[in-house]
Amino acid sequence: MTTFPVLTILIVLPLVSGICLIPLRKRQTSAKNLALALTVVELAIACWTWTLAGSPPPPGAPQGFFLFEDFSWIDGLGIRFTLGMDGISLLLVIMTALLTIIAMLASWQTVTERTVLHYILLLVMESSILGVFLSLDLFLFYLFWEVMLIPMFFLIGIWGHGRKIYSAIKFFVFTLAGSLLMLLAIIGLYLIHGRESGVYTFNFSALIGTHLDPTVGIWLYAAFLLSFAIKFPLVPFHTWLPDAHTDAPTAGSIDLAGLLLKTGAYGLIRFGYPLFPDAAKTLTPLLFIMAVAGILYTAWIAFAQKDMKRLVAYSSVGHMGFVALGIAAWTPVALSGSILQMVSHGITTSALFAMVGMLQSRTNTREISAYGGLWGKVPILSCFFMLFAMASAGLPGLNNFVGEFLILTGSYKVAQTATILAFLGLILSLVYTVRLLQEVLFQEERQPLALDDLGFREICTLTILALGVFYIGLHPGPLLDLLSQPVNILMGGAP
Amino acid sequence: MTPADISIALPLLILAIGAIVTLVHGALTRNQAMGTGIAIVAALGAGLWSLQTPAVLVAPNLGLSAGGLARLFTGFFTFMSAAVLILSRGDNTYRGISGEEYPATILFTAFGMVALASATNLLILFLGLEAMTFGFYLLAAIDREQEVSNEAGLKYLLMGALSAAFLAFGIALLYCITGTLAINDVMQATLTGTLPGPVALAGWAFVLIGMAFKLSLVPAHLWTPDIYEAAPPPVVAFLSGGSKGAAALLLLLLLPQAQDLASLRLPLFGMALLSMLVGNLAALRQSRVRRMLAYSSIAQMGYLVLALISYRGGGFPAAAFYAIAYGIMSLAAFGAITVLERNGCGTTLDEYRGRGFSHPVAAAVLAVALFALAGIPPTVGFTGKFLIFASAIRAGEITLATIGILTAAVSVYYYLRVVAALYLHEPEEKGQENISILETLVLGLSAVLLILLGLFPSQLLAFLQMHLP
Repeated sequence: MTTFPVLTILIVLPLVSGICLIPLRKRQTSAKNLALALTVVELAIACWTWTLAGSPPPPGAPQGFFLFEDFSWIDGLGIRFTLGMDGISLLLVIMTALLTIIAMLASWQTVTERTVLHYILLLVMESSILGVFLSLDLFLFYLFWEVMLIPMFFLIGIWGHGRKIYSAIKFFVFTLAGSLLMLLAIIGLYLIHGRESGVYTFNFSALIGTHLDPTVGIWLYAAFLLSFAIKFPLVPFHTWLPDAHTDAPTAGSIDLAGLLLKTGAYGLIRFGYPLFPDAAKTLTPLLFIMAVAGILYTAWIAFAQKDMKRLVAYSSVGHMGFVALGIAAWTPVALSGSILQMVSHGITTSALFAMVGMLQSRTNTREISAYGGLWGKVPILSCFFMLFAMASAGLPGLNNFVGEFLILTGSYKVAQTATILAFLGLILSLVYTVRLLQEVLFQEERQPLALDDLGFREICTLTILALGVFYIGLHPGPLLDLLSQPVNILMGGAP
Repeated sequence: MTPADISIALPLLILAIGAIVTLVHGALTRNQAMGTGIAIVAALGAGLWSLQTPAVLVAPNLGLSAGGLARLFTGFFTFMSAAVLILSRGDNTYRGISGEEYPATILFTAFGMVALASATNLLILFLGLEAMTFGFYLLAAIDREQEVSNEAGLKYLLMGALSAAFLAFGIALLYCITGTLAINDVMQATLTGTLPGPVALAGWAFVLIGMAFKLSLVPAHLWTPDIYEAAPPPVVAFLSGGSKGAAALLLLLLLPQAQDLASLRLPLFGMALLSMLVGNLAALRQSRVRRMLAYSSIAQMGYLVLALISYRGGGFPAAAFYAIAYGIMSLAAFGAITVLERNGCGTTLDEYRGRGFSHPVAAAVLAVALFALAGIPPTVGFTGKFLIFASAIRAGEITLATIGILTAAVSVYYYLRVVAALYLHEPEEKGQENISILETLVLGLSAVLLILLGLFPSQLLAFLQMHLP
């Protein structure tokens, strides 16, 4: 069992699938079917790894990792191909596999030009994001971290709308600039650890114990934090995101909000805090401020949006603010909440983006003021829309509530002011969501809109996501069980 | 002549004889395809010979050696010239450049590079460098129909002659105080860690100025944009990849022999800093792709010098790695530009729009090369820059490393603009890509190398670390 490199397969399979699509350039339908079939296989493998959760760590693995693979790579520099999976990675890996399927389904009919390239890029994207979630070698992590920008750049730039080229370049340069400083910090940490111990390695578990001078530690951590804060995105580093979302195609938005943003939060949890515990503690107030500012500011801005997609984009930044709050609090409850919220946010935001895409493909507009009275005309679409919007606003019984509740409960003891302000933000988010629902679904029709209700494929897509919403909302127990061990280890406690 | 002498000199002999045969054959038959074929075979033969035979360190009667580094770079230069010859076939027909002198000159240029790579004394080093540069004087101006090409060739000639004079004078001064031309003796005697005497200092100053011209480091960079823009693109590929690789190799042959490089640090530091800043910032403002790549090349050489300064942190192998990486990037980029321009693409950025879809092979290779130049993984550009920055931080050059990485972040913008032009616009015309099988092979191979060498640098790196301190 331990010799079977399932994690490597998880990363390589989408890439190989992408290569398999190249010969099918001229046969779109078979290419699409093949891509979908292979991503379903990928999801199946990801789900299968769940059955292994809780098994004892294989030899050489850090605590809490039930799957671990370690291959020689660039020996001269102490770089190894090291992958590992614990409860946190598992949840995010399953989410990635699932959302890639959703993204493909969302593009099924809307992407008609260069279709095969589109699917190849989605697969490359999946591969690199899985790499980020599974790497336990900082060099490898950084490699995937940057590679994932390339498919996203093309997704926004080729199939986007509006100022797509501006947005694509802004996205790429903005996120890369932050990453490069992290690269310097990674090298710095590698050298400090090497000098200290005589062993030059990028292995994450070896680097954890590095003894750092406080000032150096803060600088290195600040470089990591900057890079993660841009991906997250935390206010004031969020400015690339609304543009990228607005101009991205639906699948691009799903990948962006559902997957790419999670890598920032994941990086902070997996690498930021464990590598620099002292510096992270020192800069916690900063993280609190950015988190709360993000929650309140984006709620305020979201309220003023006329474009539905921009509204969802800002609300997405707000939800990521909650994730940041939970991380900043760094208590077991809040952190579990943050990770769960990452998954929930992936599902609801992707669903909302998918629905905005469906509306746009029907009416060619995303202006909120163009809609009205959908409830009577397209009941199925409206039901789904209401469900996901309410989930996003944190209605109890639906998925976001669980995460946000845990985050607020877990943070209150540590930071009361921040928690109270964040709670206010929650109310504000309810306000703009209700306004959106009222204007789009219930208000009188403002202009005659000819639109059809959802087709079978769309219903299937949304049903999958809706099942996720209810599952996490009503029965989050198994997921929290999965998280308890890794979270305890992160807290420095016994597994 | 002993067998060791012959073994070392054989690649040189093959290249020289190949060049002469090409010339004679051309004079007798005027069959150009055949002439190019002979030249390609000669280049590949020399390369294969040097990669296949074991290293020989001492040649009793010649000022040459063929250590590991020389063998590796001989292979690199000869393969590159073979690739350039293949790319030139179509381009020369398109530009109306004919005659056997073209392949012969490429071989003579490669001869100079290989002589330089195997040199053990300053005189051979200088002769090799000048033989190479002489070839480029001809190649830069070979497109006689075009005035810009002539102008560029003249500029390069004047600048090159000036830099050769500097270099020769510097070498003379160094000879003057040490009484020897053997590289290791000169280096040991003049760079000891204490401040060298005024004559040695002046000698080194002249050598560095000469090398700055060859590497197009700021402030001796002004010739670069014009040549890059006006010369035929395969020649630019050779110039950018080969000649700069040779100049970097020259420094790698000299500098590691010194006891201490402290007295050279300041000028190198200044040139690295200025090259990174000026190159990257000026490239931002270019609207012509080749000019942009010229400024990018200035910046890239700045990174290379950063590696040289960081020799205490393992900078020499990093510099050698980057020189090879940059050579392949240049070959891929200008190889792709060769094909694109022959297919009717102009020189401005706007004319590259949508070529990703109408000319898929060339555009894809160009995109890979641009990502590599920008230092994005998983390409060799990333691995190379990673090695450079790692050695810089290890050597304590944190300021320069930070500036370097910030300017690298800036540089992403202008590389990306070209990629955006290629892929994010609809093609204006539906044309069939006119590309030969051999060209596809060369371009594809260089793109694959850019990625493979980026993901699996271990072997090359271990080899370089074995031969450089």
